[in-house]
Amino acid sequence: MIGARKNFPLVPVLLTMAICGSLLSQENGGAVLPSESEFKDPKTRIWFNTYGNIRISKRLFWDAQTHFRFQETDDTPFIGQIGQIYNRHAIGYIYNKSFNASLGGVLRINFNTDESSTDRNVVPEWRIWHQYQFAMPLWTAMIYHRIRIEHRWTQGFQENSEYIFRNRWRYMLRAKVPLNSHKLEPKTFYISPEAELIMQSGKAVVASPMEDLRLTTTLGYILTPRLSIAGGLMYSHGQSLGNGGVFDQEWTFRFHVYFSPDFRKVRNKLPEIHLND
Amino acid sequence: MIRFKSQKRFVILAFLVLMGVYSALRAQEKHRYLGPLQLGNYQGEADYSYSIVEQDTVLDGPFTIKRSSLEALLKEEDLSFDISGNFEKDYPQGFWQLRFGEFRSDSQSQVVDYQYRVLISGTQEEASGLLDKGRPDGPWTFAINRIRDSEVDTALFKSSILFESGVPQRNFRIEDQNHILVGRFLRNGLAHDEWSLYAIDEMGEGESWFFNEGLLQKIQLRRNGEILEFPIHEEQSDSIKTIDLGLRYLKALGFSQFDSDTLQLTQTQIPDLLGQNERYYKKIDDLLSLLGNSSFSPSFKVRLPYFPLDSTELRQSDSIAHHFKRAKTIGDGILNNTRLNILKLSDREALFLHNVVAGISKDFLDPLGRLADYNREGILEFVPRKELLLQLWPTGKPSVAMEVDVSLDGISQKRTFVLPGEELSDFSGNTLLSAVNMARYANKVVDSVQQVLADKLTREKQEQELISLEEKLIAQGKGLHVLLDSLSGNVPMSHKDILLKIKALTDHNLSEYAQSPEANDKLARAQQLVDCHTRLEYLAKIIGQLPAQEEEIRQKYQDAVWNPFTATVMNEEVKKRITAAYSKILIPYYLAQVGSQLNCENVEQWIILFENTYQRVLQLRDEDTAKLERKLRRENDPLTVMELFGINAIHKGDKE
Repeated sequence: MIGARKNFPLVPVLLTMAICGSLLSQENGGAVLPSESEFKDPKTRIWFNTYGNIRISKRLFWDAQTHFRFQETDDTPFIGQIGQIYNRHAIGYIYNKSFNASLGGVLRINFNTDESSTDRNVVPEWRIWHQYQFAMPLWTAMIYHRIRIEHRWTQGFQENSEYIFRNRWRYMLRAKVPLNSHKLEPKTFYISPEAELIMQSGKAVVASPMEDLRLTTTLGYILTPRLSIAGGLMYSHGQSLGNGGVFDQEWTFRFHVYFSPDFRKVRNKLPEIHLND
Repeated sequence: MIRFKSQKRFVILAFLVLMGVYSALRAQEKHRYLGPLQLGNYQGEADYSYSIVEQDTVLDGPFTIKRSSLEALLKEEDLSFDISGNFEKDYPQGFWQLRFGEFRSDSQSQVVDYQYRVLISGTQEEASGLLDKGRPDGPWTFAINRIRDSEVDTALFKSSILFESGVPQRNFRIEDQNHILVGRFLRNGLAHDEWSLYAIDEMGEGESWFFNEGLLQKIQLRRNGEILEFPIHEEQSDSIKTIDLGLRYLKALGFSQFDSDTLQLTQTQIPDLLGQNERYYKKIDDLLSLLGNSSFSPSFKVRLPYFPLDSTELRQSDSIAHHFKRAKTIGDGILNNTRLNILKLSDREALFLHNVVAGISKDFLDPLGRLADYNREGILEFVPRKELLLQLWPTGKPSVAMEVDVSLDGISQKRTFVLPGEELSDFSGNTLLSAVNMARYANKVVDSVQQVLADKLTREKQEQELISLEEKLIAQGKGLHVLLDSLSGNVPMSHKDILLKIKALTDHNLSEYAQSPEANDKLARAQQLVDCHTRLEYLAKIIGQLPAQEEEIRQKYQDAVWNPFTATVMNEEVKKRITAAYSKILIPYYLAQVGSQLNCENVEQWIILFENTYQRVLQLRDEDTAKLERKLRRENDPLTVMELFGINAIHKGDKE
């Protein structure tokens, strides 16, 4: 029974994947690989991300994230202009303190940051994503392994552009190390190094499976158990879709707000704190 | 000839008649008891006959009770006894034999004619003779023998007396290891003629008491070849009374030969032998009385001059007994008072009072006590009162003015004691009245001394208490300083100021107390101050604990919350308005108030307020406080906060 219930969301996903995969196969033409890998000049970006984690029952929560991503342009070099707006939502399940999983969808609004382009300014992008996160304490710090799988439908800014389907395979290793306390608790600064590798697959992906490698260091501050803020710098690079020999590079400033309200009544809330331990 | 209508009726009647006869016979039927029986201190196996008369057990017929234990004999020592005789309607009747043995064995046994024989050693008491209605009748012997290896070794005691219906007759003979006493009685049991005691080992030694129809006329002692004669009652008295030759007689006799101071009755041996004999007879009487009716006693009769007490004398002797008893109780109480006995070592007045009572006890109460004893024992009526009083106070009666030794610390000193108002009292004259007066006087003296002593001891006690209280105050002061110094290191400045105020207050109190004049209420004030400083010390401890309490409250006002972003449980402070009101409004307000108002009268209230507030804040953690928290918003008035918390603002009155 449980297996069936768990598998249920996968059925439409797999169906969709199959249908889209057959419909959206694209011809990419034959790009010529350079004799040695070529790194483009790095772009700078600024991301403002909010992460909401709203508890809805003993084990379920609503994962609500909204990200505003800015990208430098020729006119506005540093902060750039809005590149994407993310709306990422999921329903998460807390299995225990060390493991939780989420499943949901993403609507990303992509803005055309090419000022010379005459194509459409805004196109939507759709995703289905699911994620498995493992947490483990290590001395005073916490270590996290995050596996996130996304099924993504994108299209270009050109009029009547076709959707292309790709799968993304992401693994992130992250630590949170308290700086001014012996553990992660309110009024604590922490430093969080992270490394994430994003691989991709799909018909459109011919020679560029490594979409992105992100190396980030973030400094965070826990205001309360329900509110933290963080800011950091990320360096990333990955193969461009058009040519696997060409690598994009980015420097990204990231600013995060983490909030986790719990609107349940006190009476219902108390016993659930410790979950299974 | 009575004719019966039918044969049936005859049978019924005959049956009823037979039943009646049977039940009448049955009522007289004797029962037999076989089993254990406790007789005074003697427990043994009994076998006796009895009948039931009106639901009472009446002993009738043979009776035996005995006990012996081979096991006890072989182990250590056996106390055996064997009593056998006969009862007739609850009266011992006929031949009786009583044996009591204390035997040991050397545990050597031999078999003789199918019997095991064990030789025993010890003593055996044996009494035997005839009884008539519980009274000795005929010859009675009582013998105590020392037994060695199952044979009589030495006769320790033996008495042979002939009785007729309980009255001793003709001759008797009592002997122990050293002496033989022989004497004779008249038909009515009165001692008569010469009663002689011979020493067995020493020829010619001994004594004789000469009776004439029961009246002892002289005592003759034969010592070391000399013959000493002491006349006793040579002259016939007007009044003579017959009594048993017992302890009472011998005591009374002690007074009659007062004139001859060379003879003391204690030198004579006849009373000793008679006393022994009487004790053995009493032992048997006690046993027989437990079973049925008996009066088993030697009943040697003698006569004594008799001086009956008239009604006045009876009243006076009762009065002496009464006053003596009271004065003795109070006097002993004073003499045994531990505080007085300590005090008298350093205080001349106490020594004086103590010795007055000691003197009264010796010169008044001791002789009066003997007088009261004689009265109780019924000896008074055989002694002329004048001679009695002369003997009780051989050197004359004490005077009212008493010389009391009050030597202390090597300085010898004497003081004279006279009870005020009694200077003219006179105890001369050898009458019971003078003794009554003495008893009354002794009573008044011990009363008055007790009164004076009570005041003195109370005063003394208060002084001691004051000294101990003051010592306590000083110790408390020092202790408080040490405490405050140790606390000061752990508390914030605002708390420290209050601790210093407490210190200043106790110092001020002490110096004020030291400067106050001596007065009657000093003890009370010292006690108040001790109480006050005890509380101040407690308050100081509470203030010293405040930071720890705040921390405890902070810990209690935390809730564990799951943080999904760190995947950890974190503590979150809850109900912050309540904890803030406690630590930012109430405590500073209390400290400020204590600093300005603290005194001995309100220290207890502050203690209560601090404790109540702390407890209340701990309670609020578990209560639904949504409304309270709303009201606390922007509330800065401590009194309102106290009201919202439900803490009695005990000092509100002071403020208004």
